Amino acid sequence: MLQATNLRKTYLLGRTKVPVLRGVDLSIQEGESIAVLGASGSGKSTLLHLLGGLDSVDKVGADVAAPSIMFRGQDLTKISTGKLDEYRRRRVGFVFQFYHLLPELTVLQNVTLAAMTALGAFEYFRTRSAVRAHARELLERIGLSHRITHRPAELSGGERQRVAIARALINKPDLLLADEPTGNLDRVTGASILDLFTSLHKAGQSMVIVTHDETTAARSDRIVHLVDGRVQAG
Amino acid sequence: MNFGAKRANPATLIPHVYQLLLTKRYLTSKIMPLLAALAVALCTAMVIVVWSVMGGFLVMLINSGRTLAGDVSISWPITGFAYYEDLIKRLEADPEVAAAAPMIETYGLIGLPDGRTETVQIKGIDGPSFSKVTSYDEILYWRPIDKPNEKDTTRQDLRLGKHDLWKQLFDGGKRLVRTEVSKVDGKAVERPAVVPGISVSGFNFREPWGFYPGLPYIRTTEGDKKPVDMFMLPVDGTVTLNVLPMDSKGRAIEMVARTFPVANEFHSGLYEIDHKTVFVQLKALQDMLKMNRAAKIDTSGGGVKLSKNPNEEAFLPPTIVSEDPARVTNVLVRSKRDSFDMADAERLAERVSKIYGEFAAAHAGKVPESTSIRILTWVDQNRTMITAVKKETALVLFIFCFVSLTAVFLVLAIFWAMVSEKTRDIGVLRAVGASRSGVAGLWLLYGLAIGIVGAAFGFALAYVVVTNINEIHEWMGRLGERLSALTGTQINLFIWDPRVYYFTKIPSDLDPTHVIIVLCGGLLASCLGALWPAARAARMNPVQALRFE
Ligand SMILES: Nc1ncnc2c1ncn2[C@@H]1O[C@H](COP(=O)(O)OP(=O)(O)OP(=O)(O)O)[C@@H](O)[C@H]1O
Ligand SMILES: [Mg+2]
Repeated sequence: MLQATNLRKTYLLGRTKVPVLRGVDLSIQEGESIAVLGASGSGKSTLLHLLGGLDSVDKVGADVAAPSIMFRGQDLTKISTGKLDEYRRRRVGFVFQFYHLLPELTVLQNVTLAAMTALGAFEYFRTRSAVRAHARELLERIGLSHRITHRPAELSGGERQRVAIARALINKPDLLLADEPTGNLDRVTGASILDLFTSLHKAGQSMVIVTHDETTAARSDRIVHLVDGRVQAG
Repeated sequence: MNFGAKRANPATLIPHVYQLLLTKRYLTSKIMPLLAALAVALCTAMVIVVWSVMGGFLVMLINSGRTLAGDVSISWPITGFAYYEDLIKRLEADPEVAAAAPMIETYGLIGLPDGRTETVQIKGIDGPSFSKVTSYDEILYWRPIDKPNEKDTTRQDLRLGKHDLWKQLFDGGKRLVRTEVSKVDGKAVERPAVVPGISVSGFNFREPWGFYPGLPYIRTTEGDKKPVDMFMLPVDGTVTLNVLPMDSKGRAIEMVARTFPVANEFHSGLYEIDHKTVFVQLKALQDMLKMNRAAKIDTSGGGVKLSKNPNEEAFLPPTIVSEDPARVTNVLVRSKRDSFDMADAERLAERVSKIYGEFAAAHAGKVPESTSIRILTWVDQNRTMITAVKKETALVLFIFCFVSLTAVFLVLAIFWAMVSEKTRDIGVLRAVGASRSGVAGLWLLYGLAIGIVGAAFGFALAYVVVTNINEIHEWMGRLGERLSALTGTQINLFIWDPRVYYFTKIPSDLDPTHVIIVLCGGLLASCLGALWPAARAARMNPVQALRFE
């Protein structure tokens, strides 16, 4: 489904170049679940942002093979920003360590947020009941249907992360990208969130989960280690 | 490549639902931006109030200017022109003309009962016909008033009592006569009289409430004050008018003085007019200025016929060669259309011009040429005043709009802070697929919403202030008086002192077009303030925004 080759990302700290990714190759098969392991600062989040079309790779000279992220025959590094927005809107769903829910919106509104960005006003209002029904169904599945009108501030961390997962799933993305989804949760709550990911995977969802917890990684089809800005076979 | 359903028009101006939703949420959950809305509200209200009052002032000035000038004036100053009755007849035959009236305009001196002499503009009018082209009847001050002045809670307005006197004065004022009982035979006689502006005599002191109480004394010629019951020119005063007649060739003859009783006084509301203008009966002024009808006599023969036989001596009647017709300096024309339209006035002036052309042709050589006669509309006549007030309005508006720019900066500062605060949310929006322009649109929409709320409140505030401006003003005045009493210092909060501005009420004119312009300005200011923060939000790197703590 997705082939990333030779991904390079360098940050500038003052005048010094800090290479974070130095040529990452990664391919994701349809329905596959991949765990990305690596030390703190190894570039896991950076990789995820690149895969999700949120960040751009380095521009390289002609001497090196150009980085590319092929998604269903299209190179994300070459398409227009409008197409990239469209890609984020419809093809991927992000789940973050710190949930990143919008505090002003209710649970239901947070979940439908991605649908709102994907559809124009007219389309949205035409399909609103369907979108809401889908959001309710997702919230039902993650056990939060009684919290629909609550604000994020009124929820526990685990509940917030469930809402964030529902938000990521609302547009039925091809790829779910989760950046340490349990990193901010206690063991029990984290385990229940992981159970949720496992059940999603079983239902056929392709996903990449960043973590530095081995037990989390053990649940996925494949583990990828990020070391020194490259993927270490393992 | 197409990742999904296509949008009908990517450049659509219809906001996305998330933009609308977040705008709504931000509006109801954030206090700071409401301060920006308040600033917008105050600024729009301020500009609307200023514009309404200045606009009302202009309308009032134009109205008053027009009150005494008719719609179009035909004038041949100083020497005047003859056969004006014929001209009036021709004018009144026109379907567009409601009425026409003769008038003499000249300058002269007025001698007042207290020995003071002032230069004044003297207008000779024929009351009834002048009333048809102007609002002369309506500006006569001394008249019966049945309903007390709105502000006159204590009913101190003299005109509220003694109905017979006021009726009599009103009637005399309309015809410019005063009825006096002859000392010789006890019969009532009507004497030609004058109607000076209310401020000409200096005996009328205006109360802040808009009326004139009687004066308890008059100054004598010797300079001291002589107490009287209640002195009022129209009741027992006379004034002396001095004018300089000219012959029909424009040569000055001798100064002529004549004492007139005062029939009434007028109050047009324009200080410039009310303290400098005196109306006098047309016929009397024609006599004084030698503009009346006169027989031209042959002075070569005639006179006394001498004869050797004293019985045959006799006065021969002078041979009348021709007749010098009466003259006036102006003919005022009133349109049938009662509009304020300047174009209407211009059209009427053109018609009048044509009619005058025919008239001049009929009296060729005896009346001024149609090419040199002056035909002016009320706009022309008041042009200096109108343009002055318009310029002033524009200047004041400019200053206030400039001041209102602070609202732009307030919106900018508050939005800047808000964009910083919402950095992570902006990152989230980008992560779920919002485009840069979508994020910018959110903040612009929010700015517009703040503008709409602000402008709506601003309009409401302005409406309340403008419709109650006189009450507010009066309340301020009373507050000032109370403060003066408390502190012992003079604090005058009467901004619009009728003794200065001369209108009883603060005029105001809430013009819908002006209101719409100002409200759009408010919206624009708000959007303008949001522009920079919106651009900043759009430029944010989503990854960095998400990492933002
Ligand atoms: N904007 C930036 N400017 C400079 N350096 C950056 C920037 N963003 C990230 N980095 C650096 O890039 C490196 C990789 O960051 P990244 O967040 O991808 O690591 P990570 O593997 O996700 O770490 P963690 O497990 O702590 O989340 C870090 O050393 C970080 O300091
Ligand atoms: Mg990370």
